[in-house]
Amino acid sequence: MKVTKTNVWSAAIAVSLTYTTAYADGHTADVYAPYEGTTLVVNFPAHPHYNAVLEVLPEFTEQTGIEVEVDQLQYLRMRERQTLELTKDEGDYDLISYVVFSKADYVFADQLENLAKYFMNPRLADPNYDAGDLIDGYVANIGIAGGEKGYLPGPTGSLFGIPFGSETSVLAYRKDIFEKHGIDVPETYDDLLEVACLIPEVEPGMGGMASRAASGHQASHAFLLHLAPLGGRVFDAEWNPIINSPEGVAAANALKTIVDCGPEGGTTFGPAEAAAAFQQGQAAMFMDSIAFAAGFEDPSRSTVVGNVGYALHPEGVRRGSQTGGFGIGIPSNAQNKEAAFLLMQWLTSKEQDLAIALAGGNPSRFSTYENAELNEKYPYSATFGEALKYADPDWRPIIPTWGTINADIGTTMSQVLTEGLDPQEALDGVAERARATMEEAGYYTWQ
Amino acid sequence: MSIARANRLTPYLFLAPAGAVLAVALFYPICYMIYASFLDWNPSQRIGEADFIGLRNYTKLFSDAAFRESMWVTIKFSIVVVTIEMFLGVGLALLLDRNIRGMSVLRTLFILPMMIAPIVVGLMWRYMYHPTVGIFNRTLTDWGFDPIPWLADGDWAFASIVIADIWQWTPFIFILSLAALQSLPASAIEASRIDGASGWQQIIYIKLPLMLPVLIVTLLLRLIDSFKVLEVILVMTNGGPGLSTEILSIRINRTASEFRELGEAAAMSNLLLIVLLILTFAMFIYNKAQELRAQRMRAVEEEA
Repeated sequence: MKVTKTNVWSAAIAVSLTYTTAYADGHTADVYAPYEGTTLVVNFPAHPHYNAVLEVLPEFTEQTGIEVEVDQLQYLRMRERQTLELTKDEGDYDLISYVVFSKADYVFADQLENLAKYFMNPRLADPNYDAGDLIDGYVANIGIAGGEKGYLPGPTGSLFGIPFGSETSVLAYRKDIFEKHGIDVPETYDDLLEVACLIPEVEPGMGGMASRAASGHQASHAFLLHLAPLGGRVFDAEWNPIINSPEGVAAANALKTIVDCGPEGGTTFGPAEAAAAFQQGQAAMFMDSIAFAAGFEDPSRSTVVGNVGYALHPEGVRRGSQTGGFGIGIPSNAQNKEAAFLLMQWLTSKEQDLAIALAGGNPSRFSTYENAELNEKYPYSATFGEALKYADPDWRPIIPTWGTINADIGTTMSQVLTEGLDPQEALDGVAERARATMEEAGYYTWQ
Repeated sequence: MSIARANRLTPYLFLAPAGAVLAVALFYPICYMIYASFLDWNPSQRIGEADFIGLRNYTKLFSDAAFRESMWVTIKFSIVVVTIEMFLGVGLALLLDRNIRGMSVLRTLFILPMMIAPIVVGLMWRYMYHPTVGIFNRTLTDWGFDPIPWLADGDWAFASIVIADIWQWTPFIFILSLAALQSLPASAIEASRIDGASGWQQIIYIKLPLMLPVLIVTLLLRLIDSFKVLEVILVMTNGGPGLSTEILSIRINRTASEFRELGEAAAMSNLLLIVLLILTFAMFIYNKAQELRAQRMRAVEEEA
């Protein structure tokens, strides 16, 4: 027993000695020195972005002497685990990655650290961090809470997390098919719907666009994807449901057209099935998260390598691509908050954002998308960077009652798609039930 | 006096460990669930922080169309699958109750579906039902028929989950019925044969009535189980399209994890528990009645 202990100590000393010598280069040593030998426990999802992060993490330990232990879980399991973990007095996690819709729950329950005090601390905040370079749509959607409507930036808002592994939507299309039939890449929703139904006519056996549509979250996601560009919102500024507006009906009809003209069996598709249909040449278009792009260029899985072009999410009455994915934040019950902040700052710095992007991750910074090396490796990067300028942080509300409303939109949309329920009637029902949910949660207290 | 009392207490002393285990492992969780069903509790709170809201979770449930729909789907599903499974299972048992070579191998093969993990069963069927590459639709299109929207249409999706459940659980009824058949008194069957009963008559007048006690218990066990089925349907359809296959356990699962309403989920679980308790109670009463009848019969025989 005693021997083991001595061994551990000597090992620890040896390790720390190695680190002090390893970064003899100057300033970094001073910043990280107080936290040397600390072990941070982080909770990440199983996701391509975070797999890329794992490749650069050893570099952090090498530079700073701070050890990082990663607990990686499937993202819904991760959320469940965090829900339990964050209610403890002393948590096991020092840094967590959270799904965007967790922002509302965690901030509301006071479980995430407000990052102001860290960015104010001259010993911790890196003056070269350049927060202005972070993609503002992502920051607004994933990082900030407490401003407009409670979940958006505004004079009363503040920062609780930093986007990390975030995503937006782009239109992927088959260059070869479009060229063969002389079809132009759709820029507006009218064009998009026309092309979606033209493809099955000119290219028998191929669907127009592959889309998510499975009952529940997937169908809701697909509907909301069209709602924002077509000018609709789920709620107005007073939290009155306006999902049943003419814009809402237009979005439901757009989704129905896309699914009807899409590949066979489309009404059961989740994102993976929709991407697979596009990847296997069963559809000529796919409009979803940028995270799927790398898969389309992977010859072991995809039959369309080299034939995929990318365009901005088409414009309806406005441009509005989705924002979502993950952010990282420090739990209020973390044990090593300052070291966790240093890791967070390091991971989202310009250098590491690029390094992670080159390893296959999703950038969080505009500068990364403009990087020549990245564009050479992934030619679509410039388009994605452009798309992010129109990223809409408010394409869906991030409020604690959203889970219930989202599920209701999803099952009702599924009925529109599979049972021929009238879109107006369907959305009227959703609006009525959403009002009851919001009423119960106290959103109309001041009216 | 005190020795007598000690003697009286001894059995309880021996029962105490079992009672303690029961209290901790069974009653505590159930009481916890019943208590939780009166709370407005989201998973980001500790149970102590949740507000007590009385019966509001229950009243909300009864006015919730989606919950009523899922209750209806569950009842419909249970009745359909259990009826079909009973017919198939008992039928198969009657067919295979004979001395064929390799019977034991056949029997093992028949109960294989029951032994496969439910998640795997769900995945397997989901791929078989796949609209384009699934075996069913490929075969149909090869033969020149139109493909069927197995999981994409509400009615077909319901039929699909029924088929998968029948595939998985008919063997359960088969194996219990077969055991019942083989323990039937040979004398009764022999006697009926001598009296000139045909095969059908034997089945209808001799075998089925004698198997009845076992069949009733099997039926109730299956019924209780079918009310709680989750994984296979979760993987195959996740309740969709619309609410057409959203059975109660999926609804409970979604209420707890997606809607983050632990109180409401607990209330639903309690309602499910009540339904199951009624079924179990029915089974208990039936057993009791059977026992009483057997006792009476024995008494009559002894008198004679």
